[in-house]
Amino acid sequence: MKLTEEHIAYIIKDLNYRGIVADGIQDELIDHVCSAVEEELKKEKRFIDAYHTVLKRFGHTAGLRDTQKQVIQTENKKPKDMLKNYFTVALRNLRKQSFYSFINVAGLSIGLAICFIIVLFVRNELSYDTHFANGERIYRIKSDLKFGGNHYNMLYAPPVLAGTAAEEFPEVEAAIRFRTRGSYLVKRDIENIKEDHVVWADKDFFQVFSVPVIAGNPTTALVEPNSIAISKRTADKFFPGEEALGQTLILDNNMNMKITAVYETLPANTHFHFDILIAMAGLDEAKRLVWYSNNFQTYMLLHKDADPRQVEQKLTRLVIERAMPQIGEILGGEDFSIEKFEAAGNKMEYTLQPLLDIHTKSSLQGEFEPNFDIAYVYLFSAIALFILIIACINFMNLSTARSANRAKEVGIRKVMGSFRSHLVRQFLMESILLSLVSMMLAIGIAYLLLPLFNNLSSRQLFIPFSEPNFYLIILGATLVVGVLAGVYPSFFLSAFKPASVLKGNVALGMKSGFIRSSLVVFQFAVSILLVIGTLAVYRQLNYIQNKKLGFNKDQVLVIEDAYALGNNRMAFRDEVMRSGKMELSTMTGYLPVSGTWRNDNPWWVEGRDPGVQENMVSVQNWQVDYDYIKTLGMKVIEGRDFSLDFPSDSTAVILNEAAVRAFGFTNEVLGSRIATFGNFGDGEIDREHFEVLQVIGVVENFHFESLKQNVTPVIIYLSDQPRGPISFRFQSKNTREVIETVEAKWKELAPGQPFNYYFLDERFSSMYANETRLGKIIGIFSGLAIVVACLGLFALTAFTAEQRTKEIGIRKVLGASVSSIVLLLSKEFGKLIAIAFILASPVAWYGINWWLKDYTYKTEIGIGLFLFAGVAAFVVAWLTMSFQSFRAASSDPVKSLRSE
Amino acid sequence: MHSPELLKGTLQTIVLKVLKDNGRMYGYEITQRVKELSDERIVLTEGALYPALHKLEAEGMLRTETEAIGKRVRKYYSLTPQGRSLVKERVNEFVEFIKTMGNVLQVNIG
Repeated sequence: MKLTEEHIAYIIKDLNYRGIVADGIQDELIDHVCSAVEEELKKEKRFIDAYHTVLKRFGHTAGLRDTQKQVIQTENKKPKDMLKNYFTVALRNLRKQSFYSFINVAGLSIGLAICFIIVLFVRNELSYDTHFANGERIYRIKSDLKFGGNHYNMLYAPPVLAGTAAEEFPEVEAAIRFRTRGSYLVKRDIENIKEDHVVWADKDFFQVFSVPVIAGNPTTALVEPNSIAISKRTADKFFPGEEALGQTLILDNNMNMKITAVYETLPANTHFHFDILIAMAGLDEAKRLVWYSNNFQTYMLLHKDADPRQVEQKLTRLVIERAMPQIGEILGGEDFSIEKFEAAGNKMEYTLQPLLDIHTKSSLQGEFEPNFDIAYVYLFSAIALFILIIACINFMNLSTARSANRAKEVGIRKVMGSFRSHLVRQFLMESILLSLVSMMLAIGIAYLLLPLFNNLSSRQLFIPFSEPNFYLIILGATLVVGVLAGVYPSFFLSAFKPASVLKGNVALGMKSGFIRSSLVVFQFAVSILLVIGTLAVYRQLNYIQNKKLGFNKDQVLVIEDAYALGNNRMAFRDEVMRSGKMELSTMTGYLPVSGTWRNDNPWWVEGRDPGVQENMVSVQNWQVDYDYIKTLGMKVIEGRDFSLDFPSDSTAVILNEAAVRAFGFTNEVLGSRIATFGNFGDGEIDREHFEVLQVIGVVENFHFESLKQNVTPVIIYLSDQPRGPISFRFQSKNTREVIETVEAKWKELAPGQPFNYYFLDERFSSMYANETRLGKIIGIFSGLAIVVACLGLFALTAFTAEQRTKEIGIRKVLGASVSSIVLLLSKEFGKLIAIAFILASPVAWYGINWWLKDYTYKTEIGIGLFLFAGVAAFVVAWLTMSFQSFRAASSDPVKSLRSE
Repeated sequence: MHSPELLKGTLQTIVLKVLKDNGRMYGYEITQRVKELSDERIVLTEGALYPALHKLEAEGMLRTETEAIGKRVRKYYSLTPQGRSLVKERVNEFVEFIKTMGNVLQVNIG
């Protein structure tokens, strides 16, 4: 007997009522029951009796459910389907909660993009010089010299050191020297081009550094004097489409150099980028067998298994056996002994520095290019990680805050037979999906931001799309971030007890918020920390820019390479002065910004015994011309400036305050005389003859190096033959016009020579390029950290407001004002931000002091800065919250209260 | 009627063999067929049958097709080639088991 439609409908409804609802089993059980009932009906039973007989066979409701549960559990063991199911549900949930998903994706993708860029950056920094085949066997000489109160940590070694080491130390396979002499004017025939990356190098350069040579023989390339090796970049510039090998280039208008090799342009991640190597054989200075002059950057390739410490010990012996006797001759004659030398606080030590440490750990006098402190590499990594954590916290907070909404889902799922592990997997799937979407967006963001970052950090980073590892790492990172963000919410949510959840007992949401509150505190503590850091860096930069330097860096134009004018130097200077645009001018290479000329020599007060070391004072001796002090705006505080009215000024000297102190003058400075050894003109010291100068004035101390260093003694005297760049002080505000005037004169008097100039204040700022860069990068980071943190706060407030709609409605009905409700809603988070501020301040204080310890001259970091950062964070957070709070507070209470 | 405890381990074998002999069947049909074959001494409980069917399906031994009959939807099970090879294996295994049991229990099994 067939069942009627009504009977079937009844069965379907009844089974549904008994809880048989799962896809895949519901239909099957209905059919089964129907078939069985039909069978029973054959026994002439009433429908309802037949139905109950069948149900009894199943074991009534409990048995039915048990069957369903078992089927579901078998189904759940199918991993593919289960994953698909997790995926579908996750997607559905994310779509349903599109506002929160958006906040999460936005935060995570910003965080990931930053992390991504930083990882690329750090990877690049750590890859410096690793491309050299023998990289781990190459060492550089580091010299630690103390003399006459001056301390030099530098890379310059004596000319004989390299040769001696290569010859006498069995550990050394090859040793080479570099000598930099600034930039060169280079031409093929007529037009000069200024080349900055030019260096004199020993012939074994290609043996030590495995730079691929494209044309020419690397072993013989740099042997002959007047031969040069050039990079491919340079070859392409001077000889486009031609064979460069064997051709000639003219350096500084007077050196004809034959190209003997063309090598592959050095990669960006090398600590030097030489484009032209000049054979050292042509440099007379390199042939001197002296130990007392340090001018050569020296590199050594050690044999395999050689112990660098043994080489260092041998270097110490070289200093005692070879260098000291020479120095003794100059300094003290008979009276000299090593013990006395050291007792006077002097020191001469050469050590080895591994090539691979140079980029991240070395910052000495004589670096070819500025390096990058490893501490900043770590700092940046930490910041990137923090931003990522802030974004992950957003995810955790929003998930747990919204847990009330999902508690019922969890309850039902558990009742239906879900294990906790299923739920954990479900929630993790959601977060992984989210992190996948964010990762893809992050790569897009990083791709767009990279040119900007490259510009800021002066690097050439790119996304390694062609590396297969890249995709693996991205995938791995996606999983890690997904799990990191999802693990806490998933365990939190899946722990709900179905009975209490379904009864409605668990009123979760904002109340169970200890962990959530701590996470918000953490987010804002990190943000405030970054803001304080940024402010401190900017304040120090500002301090540097506005510090009284002892000279006036503004409105000074420096014309470089004046030697290209040849004999027209003075004519050029006079012509420019006649144009009326300039106030004053001076011709000298000794300028108060780093990177200009320096010259250090021992002097003593006349009458004292130069044989006694204590009498010797190591000072900068700067040869200048008449208008030097006036042009640079230095201040004479005692005596007078040089003047044409006094013919005797050719033997006059002006000291800075530091020099006055170093010589030990007390009140009889003016008129005193100081002396130094004469020289034979080629740098060789003449101990028989002294040069004596009479003090006519004292100039206020002026900073001529970075503010990280103290002002050291300087003496200024007139040069009989002024050389070097010409500095002009100008009045006009129209700098373009000034430059055009000067350039026109230059073209007239030095045709074919490149016109190079700089402004003194710009060069001054470039001494702090690293600091400026740091300020900008940290500034951007802290801005983004706050944006991400505020995104989270925004969503959390939206959620609280939503949760408390009814409460707000009732409060309004009872007469609460909009402002009091806004206050009520913001108060909770306001407290958290205050706690964050209290936590962040000491850490920030410690960090700032750590950073400032390098500066001899530093700004005061007062409480104001901290308060400012705290208030700023608070205001930004409050603005974020107030949008939501205000919307909630100004809503019509009728709407929120009319339905229950 | 045989005790369900004894049946537990043989459920899959029974289902597979019945499907092999009869081709396409739905759940209720299987229970009826088994009842018939065993002279009503073996009654498959639904609570065990359906999970077993779904498990075999998940393992790729069975395939299913559904047909709508009015308001009801009927789900038919049949063997996949993989399932077909499993049947022989399972039946042989069971025969061996019976023999062993005969030896263990010291009885002669027909």
